Amino acid sequence: MTGNGKDFRMQEIHTPSAFEGALWTTTGVRDALTIFHAPPGCYINQHVNMLINDWTLELYSTNLSYANVMQGAEDKLEEVMQKVITKKQPKAIFIVTAPSVEVTQDDVEGVASKVGFKDTVVIRPPIGGIVSDGKDEALLRMLDIMESSVPKKERTVNLLGPTNSTFNWMADVCELRRMLAGIGVTVNTVMTAGATVDEIKRAPRAGLNLCMYPYDCGVKAAQEMEKRFGIPYHDEIVPIGFENSARWLEQVAAFFGIEDTSFVKEEMKSALDFARANMFFTVTFEMTAALSFDNNNTYAVGISDFFKAEAGVGIVMCSVSSEVAAERIKKTCNEVLLNPTIEEKRDMYVSSAPMAIFGNFYDKKVSMDEGFKNFIFADIPTIGYLSTENCPFMGFRGAKYLVQSLVNEVYMGIFLETKGEMEGAISGGVVPWEIEAEQALMKIGEMIPHFVRATALKKLHLVSEQTAQERGTNVTLAIMQQVADKFTPTKFKAKFSAVFEDRGNGDETPDEVASSPDGEDVPIESLTFTMPWEDEVKDMLEQIPAPFRKVAVSNTEAYARKHSHNTVTVEVFEAFREELGM
Amino acid sequence: MPLKSYEHCCSTIQALASLGKIEGVIPLLHGPQPCLYQNQVGSMSCRPAQLLTAGTLINKSNVIFGGEESLKQQVRNIYAKYKPKAVVIINTCVPQLIGEDIEGVIVELAEEIPELTVVTFKSGFNYPRSMPLGSDASWAALIDSFEVEPKVPGSIGIVGRTGQDAGNLASIDILLKKAGLKTFLFPVPHIDELKKIVCADTLYPIHITPHLTCKRLKERFGTESHFIEIPVGIEGTSNFFRGVADREKNQKLHDLVDEEEKRVRPEFEKIKATFQGRGMRMLLVTGPANEVSIGKIMAEFGVEVFIVPCMKNAFYQQEKEIMQKRYGATFIEDDFDTLEDLIEEIKPTVVSAEFQAQVETVKTFIPTIINMVYLCEYGYDYALDLGANFFKTIKQPVYEKWQSLMAQYGG
Repeated sequence: MTGNGKDFRMQEIHTPSAFEGALWTTTGVRDALTIFHAPPGCYINQHVNMLINDWTLELYSTNLSYANVMQGAEDKLEEVMQKVITKKQPKAIFIVTAPSVEVTQDDVEGVASKVGFKDTVVIRPPIGGIVSDGKDEALLRMLDIMESSVPKKERTVNLLGPTNSTFNWMADVCELRRMLAGIGVTVNTVMTAGATVDEIKRAPRAGLNLCMYPYDCGVKAAQEMEKRFGIPYHDEIVPIGFENSARWLEQVAAFFGIEDTSFVKEEMKSALDFARANMFFTVTFEMTAALSFDNNNTYAVGISDFFKAEAGVGIVMCSVSSEVAAERIKKTCNEVLLNPTIEEKRDMYVSSAPMAIFGNFYDKKVSMDEGFKNFIFADIPTIGYLSTENCPFMGFRGAKYLVQSLVNEVYMGIFLETKGEMEGAISGGVVPWEIEAEQALMKIGEMIPHFVRATALKKLHLVSEQTAQERGTNVTLAIMQQVADKFTPTKFKAKFSAVFEDRGNGDETPDEVASSPDGEDVPIESLTFTMPWEDEVKDMLEQIPAPFRKVAVSNTEAYARKHSHNTVTVEVFEAFREELGM
Repeated sequence: MPLKSYEHCCSTIQALASLGKIEGVIPLLHGPQPCLYQNQVGSMSCRPAQLLTAGTLINKSNVIFGGEESLKQQVRNIYAKYKPKAVVIINTCVPQLIGEDIEGVIVELAEEIPELTVVTFKSGFNYPRSMPLGSDASWAALIDSFEVEPKVPGSIGIVGRTGQDAGNLASIDILLKKAGLKTFLFPVPHIDELKKIVCADTLYPIHITPHLTCKRLKERFGTESHFIEIPVGIEGTSNFFRGVADREKNQKLHDLVDEEEKRVRPEFEKIKATFQGRGMRMLLVTGPANEVSIGKIMAEFGVEVFIVPCMKNAFYQQEKEIMQKRYGATFIEDDFDTLEDLIEEIKPTVVSAEFQAQVETVKTFIPTIINMVYLCEYGYDYALDLGANFFKTIKQPVYEKWQSLMAQYGG
């Protein structure tokens, strides 16, 4: 740590570690039993946080105390193992160690050997490891219980990578299973979410391993399975989007020598019909999206490729946690963030102004704070998310769902955002427009998606005229700027501001409006303050043109609250001005 | 020996959630990545603001060479960014294990940033059997930073449970104020107000949890505390207020309680009648100590209650005795392996348990309420609302529907 403010990187806190990775992988095996060799607090947190993303699952614990850890917790582990074997009769036991046990380096393997339960797997995630390290370690250790001598089963594959707490794993597995069945290929084992111990043991029966999340996990296990059991693997194509789903399936068909790919043709025919839907290109071609996939790099790669190449959606920002994924995505997106802080993402959302954001709970919160209304949950962490076999992101149906959800989320949302009141006025009357204001409105219009442009411009036009009427002036550039800032969705604000930044010195400024004889007088003592202000700062409000004082007070207070200040001081006021670029 | 833990959460989360509700205080988690990630996600749902946790992310090299420098730097960063009045370092399991010198860090920081208060306490497996103590321990640490102030004669301090109580003690405070008593509440949502608890002449804890808090206030400021009973339900609330009235020699408070009883009694009797003849047996398993308070409310309605307590301090012992004598409540203090074992033994008709325990009740679709959402349960009206809506809340017919589907289709 170097000592500058940049090191205060809280973003890592919302990133799971190798310990989560290992537990998510083991608890997905339905009839196995996972013991978290850990203090009770670690156990509760891990169990609860898994249950907010997956249906229901069990986790057991050794409930270690400080004394247990200091004096060696082998006895406790042995006791818990014996008890769960007797009471629960598991098909296998997975023991995952906690960070405190990794510090003291308990002899967990020794205990497992002493208890002698046949199918016991010990997983020791590394302190400092990332989530994929834990998943890979767990998958690799599970190879030890696989039966190498099982006979091969024709036209079967294993799906490697889905684990508990992988966003949407259930729907994606369901869709890939359906697609494989369409060409006559059966899924032998899913490693690991939803699998049974028997399926894990018999994984070597499969003819091919398919890595579902090659930018995240599973490739190491696939390589090792190739070495140990002679099973080749595919990890090149991410089956997201129509073309890549077809290529992925054709690759599997080719591997097994399946010539009849009529299923792929049928699916692609349906995809072509879908692409002809009036509501597809009409909307997606005008659309921009930000993808925040800190915990699912594979989604980031697959969805950015698909959106850009097949849906014409502009990817204005993509956030990932893998360097390899970041390099790959740079081909489709100019703004790729690698392990950004939440604040860096916030800034990028505001400056890149996406029409929709795909992301996790934090992205949702930030997008709400910044006024972005169109959001699609697509990654962890969540603080509670219910998933089913429906709504995949992968495969043919996944491609349709991605477009469907985007169009339905954004289209009507933007329409409604740009409309006036249900029974509002249609026109403010005859109000003259100054030429700069008209030019600005035209430029703004060019930045609004076509499918909503006319409606949005109507609203801006009306509000500008109403404002001018209230002030008894023409519609001026300053009024246009104020209206554009106040009455447009956040996603357009950054773009709109460029219109006014581009204006030359000769244009009218808000200051000039304020000093005009018609300007409304707003004395400082008439303003409403909802939090304490230093007198010195109140005096500074005198420098602000009268018409903007109320808004300056409310925006400054909002800024102060957002940054946890109880009082508006000179420093707070200056910081806010600086943020506004003043 | 339990095969799981059915407690509310890690004491670290409990502390984080409580301190996170006090403006002017920033909790700093000193621990490794999984600890920070889990506590951050876990506390997210109960924090009103400042949704990001500050932490140190102890890594392998910190384990070997010590993480004090990182910790110090992170306190500086927090101060530069947020200018808090106090930083509370939550010292989690791993730094405790490797014997980090947190106090040494605090001494050095005091020289460097004298205007900032930095305190610390140990969480995690320091409280392996009573995790709600995470709040109590963090309050006690914060109290260490309070300065002595003159006491307000005749004033009383109401000491609540967790950060959840901050700003939510009106049901108790209103009556006391009406009786003309000067009150200081703890916790409250701002550190400047929180500190004023030292001005209270006498303390009245209103839950079983703040035992350490009261002890520390006595040690530091000489304030006596009197635990009367938890003011929940009708009888419990009245007895609490009457206890205060007697001690403070305040007849007006007695009169107000008479009025309140007159107001609530008819509705209470109606609600109680709805519970009669149903053979209700409620198992309340360890939560944020509300297994005792919600249990008391339910027992007053005539429900047979079985309580697995989360703590066994002196306040609990007193409350337990009251509930045993008054309602015949059963307290289960012995270890059990799993909740399923207890259910098999007690055969409850409804269970109140933590989120992770629901995995076991849902197997057979036993009506279950998640106890962490039943907080701020003080006073008359909470009890009336809980009782009047209880059967609506537990949605018994839905459980019965699924039980019948299970009988028909198996699974």
